[in-house]
Amino acid sequence: MTEPELQGLEETPGGRDAGVFSELRVLDLSRWIPGEFCTKLFGDFGAQVIKIERPGEGSLTRQAGPWPGDTPDPERSGLFLHLNTNKKSVALDLKLEEDRRAVLNLARDADLLVESFRPGTLERLGLGWDELSQANPDLVMTRISNFGQTGPYRDREASDLVLQALGGPMHATGSADREPLRKPANLAMYVVGRAAAAASLAALLRVKRGGSGTVVDVSAHEVMLSAPDRRSAYLLTAAYSGTNAPRGIRSAHRGAVLPSGPFACSDGYVMIYIMRQFIEKLLDLLADAELSEYFASGEVMLDEPVEARERLNAVLEPWLAGRTKHEIMREAQSRHIPMTAILSIDEVLDDPHFAARGFFHEADHPRAGKLRYAGAPWLMPDGWRLRSTAPALGQHTEEILREGVLR
Amino acid sequence: MTGEVTDPGGGFSGLPLEGIRVVDLTVVWSGPGATMLLGDLGAEVIRAECLTRDSRMAPTTLTKEQAEKSGYAGAAYPGWDPGARPYNRNASANWHARNKLSITLPPLQAPEGREAFLRLIEASDVFVENNAPATLSKLSLDYDDLRERNEKLIMVRMPPMGLSGPASDYIGYGPNFNALVGIAAMDGYEGEPPTSAGENYHMDEGAAAGVAMAVMAGLWRREDTGEGCLIEFPQSESLLAEMGEAIMDLQMNGRVPATWGNSHPALLQDVFATADEDRWLALTIRNDADWAAFVAVAGGELEEYASAGREARVAAEGEIRGAIRRWAASQEIEGLVEKLIAADVPAAEVMTELGVLADPHLHERGWFKKGYHPETGLHMYPGHAWRMSAVDLAWGRPFPALGEDNEYVYREVMGYSEAEYEAGQAAGYIGAERPR
Repeated sequence: MTEPELQGLEETPGGRDAGVFSELRVLDLSRWIPGEFCTKLFGDFGAQVIKIERPGEGSLTRQAGPWPGDTPDPERSGLFLHLNTNKKSVALDLKLEEDRRAVLNLARDADLLVESFRPGTLERLGLGWDELSQANPDLVMTRISNFGQTGPYRDREASDLVLQALGGPMHATGSADREPLRKPANLAMYVVGRAAAAASLAALLRVKRGGSGTVVDVSAHEVMLSAPDRRSAYLLTAAYSGTNAPRGIRSAHRGAVLPSGPFACSDGYVMIYIMRQFIEKLLDLLADAELSEYFASGEVMLDEPVEARERLNAVLEPWLAGRTKHEIMREAQSRHIPMTAILSIDEVLDDPHFAARGFFHEADHPRAGKLRYAGAPWLMPDGWRLRSTAPALGQHTEEILREGVLR
Repeated sequence: MTGEVTDPGGGFSGLPLEGIRVVDLTVVWSGPGATMLLGDLGAEVIRAECLTRDSRMAPTTLTKEQAEKSGYAGAAYPGWDPGARPYNRNASANWHARNKLSITLPPLQAPEGREAFLRLIEASDVFVENNAPATLSKLSLDYDDLRERNEKLIMVRMPPMGLSGPASDYIGYGPNFNALVGIAAMDGYEGEPPTSAGENYHMDEGAAAGVAMAVMAGLWRREDTGEGCLIEFPQSESLLAEMGEAIMDLQMNGRVPATWGNSHPALLQDVFATADEDRWLALTIRNDADWAAFVAVAGGELEEYASAGREARVAAEGEIRGAIRRWAASQEIEGLVEKLIAADVPAAEVMTELGVLADPHLHERGWFKKGYHPETGLHMYPGHAWRMSAVDLAWGRPFPALGEDNEYVYREVMGYSEAEYEAGQAAGYIGAERPR
């Protein structure tokens, strides 16, 4: 089988041609961020990922944008372009018997199938685990859903916001006197996708060791509940002492004396995260004799936390206001104090650190043109490589299906 | 791999990582979260701790009175009581420690500490650490040093900014690095500056499953090639994949993301106060069907907008959200969410932890697990992130007390003689109590 010609793609220096997962074939039936990010993590490390898309419509991420000039175009959706590198697209209509047979045929030669339909959908189409495992007992079928494949919430409608409300640390996020605040953008959906990828690889590793195929049940709700963005620790705290995590004190894990969180400076914002062991260094940085003397005078943080916080902020805030975010970061970091500049995405793309590491990779897409893509999530031998940009809808239908017939 | 388990048909019936031993030198959140996932999959995860170092975010002594005065931090102890050994009772460490083992090593700066650590490395498959990049170099415990003792080792380092580049020695916590990848800039209440943001430790959440996957990628490659390797997991760059659409939008349209708060440009959604204090309704209207169903439930002044299509809803979004706000404020939360769900409208109460502990769906799915440890007693513990039909993920001891597995690990894993082990006890580094 010959690869379609690629344009303008970079070679990973020192990497072999094939990635670590080059022996794997993945069928991607998903249509949204979690599933597509899951399969991207396999494709970017060498797996052959075949995306099954509805003819004429394709993945939902094609319809989400952003598009150049805000003009909807399923071949130029930034979300789709980002999530579907190193994949092939086969247009199949699961409502048609013939196309369902094609999926079953493809599943025979696949190692992993990823889907994110509403629970029960594939069963109704005759593509449930019974049929798939009969076709291929070694298959790993990863099923991503809002609430899992079982249980009373299984068929509930949900959204990212609703899932964060139920699963994430949202009740404890935001200001005390205001509504709880979700995580920005689509971050929570990516977390679900990454978890699904790790779970899929675990199941594949088990098959590699001689185990049977399996269903992997990934509930977005449970992924969020078990995550280290404190929700899991908050849950155990509640089980230990019957206490909910409070909202609106800067860090729920200590008193609020020490500055942690975003602060304004002369040209934007900085992120400060001062834990107890950094207070001496912070006082040295601020070089305010009276303040240092006050903090040295006793257990002020325990005995009079409000007074201590106010006196500290009364010195810190003007100090920040007289400096730029990069000046603050340089000065603080040279003293090993956790302060960083809050960068917007344009500043991130121009940042000398990521540039020096060669993180972003430019590639030329036939319809969307030259764009820079986020690079490797981790570095290893036989690792990440941008081998092809996202496929056009149905670009590989003939190639893949012909291959199936020949077998 | 060793430790094969076979089913009656002759196939492998164990957990995916059975027989894999992991040395866990991680601290705080993202690293321990990653090794927790490896333990779930059957790996023997050994937390390499030290009696003179805090690896559990807990002091050596803390009275109940002090805990009761220390706000939410005190709630991390069962019954607000830190007990004689607070480091064994702290939820901020115990949440991630299921299935793990704990040993106490001498300080790694000391020759006997280095040798003990290297003997542990020799007997292991994987080593995961999330210290500042320079920490291991100062100890001459870089990959090349370790490979001399175990060439099949897979070493995973998770420096926030990577092992190279001008900012690789920057220090900070999850929020500091959220700031450097564009996340903090878009975090905050709708249309307000980032200073309005709440706690956000997203980098910790993002890294855990990624590191678990990277470890397994290393093991996969070792099966194929017989080689160990170094894996560099730069947590910030791993997170930049989550910024993909913003990276594209910038290049396509020169747009920098705004703070959306709870709203979303393609949806009608927000979090609304209800008649009950600090109980909140999260609501999303995705399309016309959701809208019609919602208006049928809400009625009242919202009926005025009943026939509004998507464009009309966008045009009148401020007024509509105002009307929903007035309606929600008059509603008691009990029964409200059920009505919306019955109408297939995506809605939920923003759940407190105690609410989650009582969630019938999670109980039906057996998500919470009971865990008993003599240091804490019997409690419910948060469950696994995912599940497999072929085999149950590991659920063993809920956490190890500090040094609880010294004897097994030193004697059986590291091959210490009885005399060597006793010498370690006498020297004060093999033990279960931190000096006060």
